[in-house]
Amino acid sequence: MPWKPPARAGATIPIWAGYSIAERDRRWKAVRESAAKAVFDCIFVPLGNGTDGRYLTQLRCSATVLPTDGRPPIIIADRSSRNEWVPDPWQTSREWAEPMTQALLDAGMERARIGVVGLKGGKVTHVRAFDGVVNHTAFAAVKRRLPNATFEDATDVVGFVRYVKSEEEIDCLRRSTAIAEAGIEEMVKLARPGFDAAVLYAAVVERMLELGSEYYPLAIYTDPIGTREPKRYTNPPIGRRLESNTLITNEVSAVWGAQVSQEDQPILLGRIPDDWKPVIELQKEVFEAGLKFMRPGTSFGELIDFINGFGAKRGMKTLILMHGRGYGDDGPLLSPRLRGENVRDIRIEKGNAWVWKPYAMMADERIQFVWGGDVIVTDKGGEVLFKRPHGMISIV
Amino acid sequence: MEAAADVRWKGYSLAERDWRWQAVRANAAKAGYDCIFVPLCVDGKNLHLSLEQSRGTRSDCRFLTQMENAAVVLPTDGRQPIVINDRGTGNDWVPKARPAMRGLRGSWAPAIAQALLDAGMERARIGVPGLGRGKVTHGRASAGVINHSSYDEVIRQLPNATFEDATDVVGYARYGKSDEQIACLRRGAAIAAAGIEKMVEVARPGVPEAILYARVMRRMVELGSEYYPMALYTGPMEGGERLPRFEDPPIDRVLQPMYRITNEVDAVWGGLVAQELQPIVLGPIPDEWKRLVDLQREIYEGGLAVMKPGTSFADFIAFTNGLGEKRGMKSLILMHGRGYGDDGPLLTPQDRTYERVRDVRIEKGNVFVWKPIAMSADERIQFSWGGCVLVTEKGGEPLVRRTPGMVSVS
Repeated sequence: MPWKPPARAGATIPIWAGYSIAERDRRWKAVRESAAKAVFDCIFVPLGNGTDGRYLTQLRCSATVLPTDGRPPIIIADRSSRNEWVPDPWQTSREWAEPMTQALLDAGMERARIGVVGLKGGKVTHVRAFDGVVNHTAFAAVKRRLPNATFEDATDVVGFVRYVKSEEEIDCLRRSTAIAEAGIEEMVKLARPGFDAAVLYAAVVERMLELGSEYYPLAIYTDPIGTREPKRYTNPPIGRRLESNTLITNEVSAVWGAQVSQEDQPILLGRIPDDWKPVIELQKEVFEAGLKFMRPGTSFGELIDFINGFGAKRGMKTLILMHGRGYGDDGPLLSPRLRGENVRDIRIEKGNAWVWKPYAMMADERIQFVWGGDVIVTDKGGEVLFKRPHGMISIV
Repeated sequence: MEAAADVRWKGYSLAERDWRWQAVRANAAKAGYDCIFVPLCVDGKNLHLSLEQSRGTRSDCRFLTQMENAAVVLPTDGRQPIVINDRGTGNDWVPKARPAMRGLRGSWAPAIAQALLDAGMERARIGVPGLGRGKVTHGRASAGVINHSSYDEVIRQLPNATFEDATDVVGYARYGKSDEQIACLRRGAAIAAAGIEKMVEVARPGVPEAILYARVMRRMVELGSEYYPMALYTGPMEGGERLPRFEDPPIDRVLQPMYRITNEVDAVWGGLVAQELQPIVLGPIPDEWKRLVDLQREIYEGGLAVMKPGTSFADFIAFTNGLGEKRGMKSLILMHGRGYGDDGPLLTPQDRTYERVRDVRIEKGNVFVWKPIAMSADERIQFSWGGCVLVTEKGGEPLVRRTPGMVSVS
């Protein structure tokens, strides 16, 4: 190995790394098979793509060269980090271009077809990162040093492996969901007119951290009910107190075993207005109907059409809102902005996980209601991982 | 400190914006650039080399626009910048931004390339901050912070323009803080100090470390700090071994008697990251540590006096690293800039040559986290304490008053 590790390194940062060796081997094997099908000689996760790096190594920061032919990967880590999955990675400090280049050369990739994960947004991962997540300067240096190799986007190669969760991953997502629900319970316990919105934010974060969640920004809205475009906060709101008829909507996310859950629970500091009740009832119907519909083999095209057409039969409107759960930026992503034209052909599979939170709204869209949380796909359809009853919580 | 709900500060003024833009334009003109171009940068969650580096990935756009994620084309000749962000959402500083994506989905590259063309940069010399490490910003980012696919496409679409690293052009505009920025860092430092007070209140043998972590974070967030992970180190005092560093709640760990707790407690106000450090021991301070604590206080206070405008970092390093030897121990400089993230100069034990920053001079309005290390002659035990310091004509002035030393919790 020509790469010489640095003399000094920063302090090692332990992170949760509790998946089994069997889980590691499952992931690596699945990625190799997917890469072979796409005719890549190796899969390369470069600097910048921390999410896929963590998926393949359980390391906080890494770069990976995984040959398709079954040889073990070459993994580069920093801060002297190592774990059970990767007991002896190459070590670096701040320099990444040179060890990544050496890793590809050592793996015999100087004339290879190299699949680069995270160069572009994928169908089921990096779905919001249309330009990918790869660091320019380091990657450009690698390409210059391997002028006879070809580098092509392989985001979906790893993406479709991440798309289907193992039992171990589902267990982690289940725990992550329970932590997010504990965060919601804390919010319900404290939210009252006059309460400092930043203190509410902080208390929910504290509750999830003390249960062992990694930090993930809480998204919260605290405007009066009926506000057309309420302001979204992903940090503590400054200069705000809750008031009577504040509608608190939220995305409460926790992380366990790197699995990011999300629970959405509207809370109203007042009585639920009568004209909201049919919308809430419709949302319950579409939520439950969607669970039944999302069986393995169903295409997203079919699910989108089913959900978006559901409300019209009741004289109202419904709209699909969902995205994958996993290590972060999982898909498919279906929202009012992204209607899913590029994912209609993707099929739902057993072991998929997403946050399921369809919209229900009045015909004029004046009143809109979203509620939901984490769901896994079983043979019978969607199974919720959370325990809360449906509806808007009213605090009078 | 006033409750977050009672704060009336709404953000930086337009005068502050104009001051920043003018400073960047002046630096760019001096370097001969036709414009400064801040490209789309990788997000900090994915490019997570360190907390600072993670926070610093999109720091230049935040400095220039108060937006979390934006690309910026700032012509040197005084014309208004063109700003591109996800949805084309404006703010007080930039009422009109351009949306990155046409048709709701797609690459940022076409909108960015068009902005450069609209600014007349098809044959220009374009300065790009964040392509590599700077002297006073992006000091940890040896490979820079820029997103590959969009940047590669932009330079492909402007084949007659030249693109060069201009990290220091924006960096030196960020290096000296305005009064508005200093006020924000002062509040950030006070919030971090409140976090430390909470830690001293909660840290006891038998307390799960995740609870300690959560209580401190809550205290800072409820005072209005953006969430910035605390770095927490815990382990036995005896032996002085290097402790593991946690940036999330430690799982299945419980504080024990005679544990040493060190930390980097950061708070963010106005986008600027303050940092305070406070070692704590769950028991009496051992005698061999007391000498170190005294030496560290001497270095810390001596450094404040030496830290005057015009002093070179070469001189400052020599003063700090030489003081310990005179007392039969060792001392080592440990400090870096404060600001939007990954601010420099970066002086750590990992690079003891300091080659990159020896010629940089201290200026009035600099803000550093100043936390020199005192260590035994064999380097077996090491002690660091410190926090945010503002450079004034008279030297360094702590932004929040705390007493140097180790806190003993009996």
